Amino acid sequence: MSERRSTVDPKLLEILVCPVTKGALIYDAEAQELISRQAGLAYPIRDGIPIMLIDEARPLDETP
Amino acid sequence: MVRRMMNEEEQRAWFGFREVHETEKASLVRGVFDSVAGRYDLMNDLMSGGVHRLWKASMMDWLAPRPGLHLVDVAGGTGDIAFRVLDRIGGPDAAAASGSSITVCDMTPAMLQVGRDRAIDRGLLGHDWRIDWVAGNAEDLPLADRSCDAYTIAFGLRNVTRIDRALAEARRVLRPGGRFLCLEFSQVALPILARLYDLYSFRMLPLLGQMVAGDRESYQYLVESIRRFPPQEALAARIAAAGLSQVKFRNLTGGIAALHSAWRL
Repeated sequence: MSERRSTVDPKLLEILVCPVTKGALIYDAEAQELISRQAGLAYPIRDGIPIMLIDEARPLDETP
Repeated sequence: MVRRMMNEEEQRAWFGFREVHETEKASLVRGVFDSVAGRYDLMNDLMSGGVHRLWKASMMDWLAPRPGLHLVDVAGGTGDIAFRVLDRIGGPDAAAASGSSITVCDMTPAMLQVGRDRAIDRGLLGHDWRIDWVAGNAEDLPLADRSCDAYTIAFGLRNVTRIDRALAEARRVLRPGGRFLCLEFSQVALPILARLYDLYSFRMLPLLGQMVAGDRESYQYLVESIRRFPPQEALAARIAAAGLSQVKFRNLTGGIAALHSAWRL
């Protein structure tokens, strides 16, 4: 993350979970989102910072 | 709404001395920190006459972070606690050698940006040690169960809507044997000091907030929120109720602030 702001450190992904379900996240590098299928939410990554706030997440049934 | 699985009944929370709906508090608090982010640490120095540095040093003494730990610092957006922990474990190279990592989790992205910029300015990045900046709510931490060796929260728990839920989350993310440490304003023990402190905090602090950060209301909120926060013994009881063990506290500067320590066993 420190070197290239557009990527998320794989080690960070190991400990990050969905704040709602505490389940695993899928990293969508292209959309810069962390997806929680169980919760049906996509958390944005803005300027390299994962925004793991439920209020800011995009419901998966909506198009980005 | 997906927001939160909470019961339907009206939930009230305190925003300073104003009673607000529980769902409002987080965004009101975020508004405060969005507004003060750039000058937050400077204001802490001015408001406390630099004493917050001594309190944070006490926090580091009691924490005694060991190399190799993974620490999560909650509500620590500007990196102040994270950088002190890094310093205690010997700086970026020592942190890299021991595999130490710090996750800074804050509800306000603006605060995290200040912290990350500061880390870059101080040349702390690019040493192959890990510090991650994550926006998250203390009540719904985005971290895996048992993923942290230590959990710190400095001047953050006061701003959390549901303290007990945040404490339960602290326990959840800690490994067995993991350490909880909270630094927060508390109840002044000495009556004379208490009166002086009242005068100072209710008259002076909002004025300072206006002069330095151009934001009187945010600092008015900070002062009021300090008074609404549970005193030492009550907070200790709530930490224990969350399932953390060996709860102890230490008063700092006559109880203006207090450190609470506990372990997940």
